[in-house]
Amino acid sequence: MNRDQLQKNILSILENDFEFEHPNLDDNLRDEHGFDSIDAIELLGKIELMLGFSLSRAEKEAAMSIRTINDILDYIEKIQATRVS
Amino acid sequence: MPRRVVITACSAITPIGYGKDAIIDSLRTGRSGVRPLKDDGLLTTHIHSRVFGTVDYPIDYGFARRHTKTMGPVAFYACKVAKDVLEQSGLDKDFITSGRLGVAFGSTHGSPTVQRNIYKTFFGNLAEEFSSIGAVDYLRSMVHTTAVNITRMFGITGRVIASSTACTTSSQAIGFGYEMIKYGMQDAMLCGGADEYDTTTVAVFDNLLACSVDYNDSPSRTPRPFDRDRDGLVVGEGGGAVLLEEYEAACRRGAPILAEIIGFSCNNNGGDLILPNLEGITATLRMALEDAAISPDEVDLISAHATATKMGDVIEAQAIDAIFGDRPMIMGLKSYMGHCMGTCGVIELTMLLYMMEEGFVAPTLNLDNVDPRCNMLHHVRELTETRIRTAALENFAFGGVNTCLLLNNGRYLA
Repeated sequence: MNRDQLQKNILSILENDFEFEHPNLDDNLRDEHGFDSIDAIELLGKIELMLGFSLSRAEKEAAMSIRTINDILDYIEKIQATRVS
Repeated sequence: MPRRVVITACSAITPIGYGKDAIIDSLRTGRSGVRPLKDDGLLTTHIHSRVFGTVDYPIDYGFARRHTKTMGPVAFYACKVAKDVLEQSGLDKDFITSGRLGVAFGSTHGSPTVQRNIYKTFFGNLAEEFSSIGAVDYLRSMVHTTAVNITRMFGITGRVIASSTACTTSSQAIGFGYEMIKYGMQDAMLCGGADEYDTTTVAVFDNLLACSVDYNDSPSRTPRPFDRDRDGLVVGEGGGAVLLEEYEAACRRGAPILAEIIGFSCNNNGGDLILPNLEGITATLRMALEDAAISPDEVDLISAHATATKMGDVIEAQAIDAIFGDRPMIMGLKSYMGHCMGTCGVIELTMLLYMMEEGFVAPTLNLDNVDPRCNMLHHVRELTETRIRTAALENFAFGGVNTCLLLNNGRYLA
């Protein structure tokens, strides 16, 4: 999945499942959308379904430093690259 | 010096309506909220009892996702009635978040709907390679989910008591809230309980031969408290909340005083976890009167637990007779809506408050022929317009837990 497709899917998830309004890629998720650690875990489950494979515990823990939507996209791209190689 | 405790707001979602007007209308017209049991695709076909006290109308919650993400159905009921009483109270945000307001709120076992979905994932092998169990399923289903979703939604920082004693869950919550204020631990308490639609509870009571099965084709004819032809309880759902405040503070801010809680008792039968116990229940009633420092003759009306089980009603009638004789009016409100489990106490209390305010007593439904073993009491069998000064609310639970609350009508407080 390329970055454009990822961005479209993630924005769709954030708007439909997490009730984000007018998300921008560099918004601080917590400060501007009230996104908390519970949401992060929920989002990881949705990312697993989107990618079609499950994430390791280490991969999930690495996601806890995510702050923006661009961070989410970087995170997914990095995981995809790991799985391909 | 113990402080006086008053009820300044109440709200209930019940099988016979949501809000004061709808509930009063059902009580005045004798409308039952018992409906056919809904098919849950799991247990329904194994259950003999096919009736349920059902909340069958839409409710406009209007909660934001930031709140609902940790809520199962039971917490929706809880937060809605909690929101109602906080809005009714007019208490400001500073007080609500001050730590001087606490929450005493419970349910029978959290959210069985959410728990059931967890089991489906395990036993149905659904999407086993992914995270099929949600990150918040525990928060949605845990036994104190109602209490802490209320604190979270309204920023309440005081004490949390999450009672979970089956049918005495919410009457305990109210009683413990009363004691919190009476002895100065908190200045106000938001108390109540909720239970969602759940066939697991029906299956449990059905298995114990305690559920009604003879009126599956005519749901509104059951349950039948104190009636000769009663055949067991009907499980129900709903939620209710009351706001308790210290009397002087409530007066100072001009809050409407619906009633004063003048006594509370709670004990245990100290033995069998299921069978009703005459000695234990009689002691509960006596202890409540002692706590209130009133005589039995001062009680005008008793809202009996009256589940319509064969032995439970007889034992309760004997206990009432032993303490109160035939003077107070007796009504069994479960005849309208079934047994709403953990929330029955607060729902019945809310209905009592409405009746005190409006000056009427609702008759026990389906009481066509009083069981001779229960006939020594003054049963209310017709809608009665009358002034109620003092009332008692009785609730008893599996586990041998008994409670009794005593109230004085807020209209006649000295």
